[in-house]
Amino acid sequence: MRGYHLGRLLVTLLAVAGLVLVGVGVAQLPSRPPQPDSAGLPPQAVTAPSLPPLPRADPVEVRIPRIGVRAPLLPVAADPSGALEVPPLDRPRVAGWYSPGVSPGELGNAVVVGHVDSPGGPAVFFDLGRLRTGDTVHIARADATVVRFAVDGVEAYPKNGFPTDLVYGPGAVAGLRLITCGGRFDQDSGEYVDNVIVFATRTR
Amino acid sequence: MKATKVLVPVAGGIALGALLLPGTSLADTTVSPSTTPVGGTVVLTATNCNPNSGDAIFHVTGPDRDQNVRSTTAAASGGLSAELFTAGFTLGTYTVAATCGDGTPDGSATFTVTPIGGAQAGGRDVGGGGTLAAGATLLVTSLGGAVILARRRRHAAEAATL
Repeated sequence: MRGYHLGRLLVTLLAVAGLVLVGVGVAQLPSRPPQPDSAGLPPQAVTAPSLPPLPRADPVEVRIPRIGVRAPLLPVAADPSGALEVPPLDRPRVAGWYSPGVSPGELGNAVVVGHVDSPGGPAVFFDLGRLRTGDTVHIARADATVVRFAVDGVEAYPKNGFPTDLVYGPGAVAGLRLITCGGRFDQDSGEYVDNVIVFATRTR
Repeated sequence: MKATKVLVPVAGGIALGALLLPGTSLADTTVSPSTTPVGGTVVLTATNCNPNSGDAIFHVTGPDRDQNVRSTTAAASGGLSAELFTAGFTLGTYTVAATCGDGTPDGSATFTVTPIGGAQAGGRDVGGGGTLAAGATLLVTSLGGAVILARRRRHAAEAATL
């Protein structure tokens, strides 16, 4: 009889420990970033007012009021393998400006990249997938000008089908491309399978 | 009347001059594709160069480059072409100016060298799943223990009633 009571105690302890660990595990699971409800088609550029292009100036801050983003910008280029650099993971609230390309306000597409999340939780562009057509993005530049862009669309593309032309290609107006990760998280590779891209056109 | 008499020949002369200027209206250099990830190949074509006049020279200038590329093939659509491999190119926009074998310029075009593929812009912690799996294992073990205990108790009860 004593063995039975001991066994029951052991089973109870195991069950309680299991429940605690499951609870902690569920709490630790990172939330999934919002995804754009897009059709996978390149968005049409909103008819932008005729604005004279701005001279080149480094951007220093990106602000996206709808999702509460206000982040400093660092220049980035490409790593030795040719992939687009991203800001260091230990600074997840910082975004990167692709400096070999045009600066925001010049003719062409300026590119800004930011992390969707980090080991510490959501990062600067976690909510990028929540943006919708017409939302605004403000870029403050080193020459004290602030350039305003309107979102034309938000799309998710598989990383192995990245739309290089749409992002880096030349444009007849001043455009902006915001890039982060999205889609399914591949546990094996430790990476998201998609890139979420915001397409925007200068309006002021 | 005087103004008309002067203006008509002048306008005619300008139009004729525009038509006769060598290399202005017809000159054409193309680069395909106009955007390539670093390491990709672009095809440079001087569409109006006559292959019989000799090779065309493509002068490529950009962020870290100032080089001449000689045409290697006659383009199917006319003119002369060369392939340019962009491995090792610095990211940015490059200008290609072509000169035909007879020395006439054949216009210019640009192409852009970009990073490869998408951005690795995620860095979530994948460790939470381990805790979840450990918890599930403990729960399954305790469930198994409970079943064993229940069977033993039933057997004990049956033995007691015999």
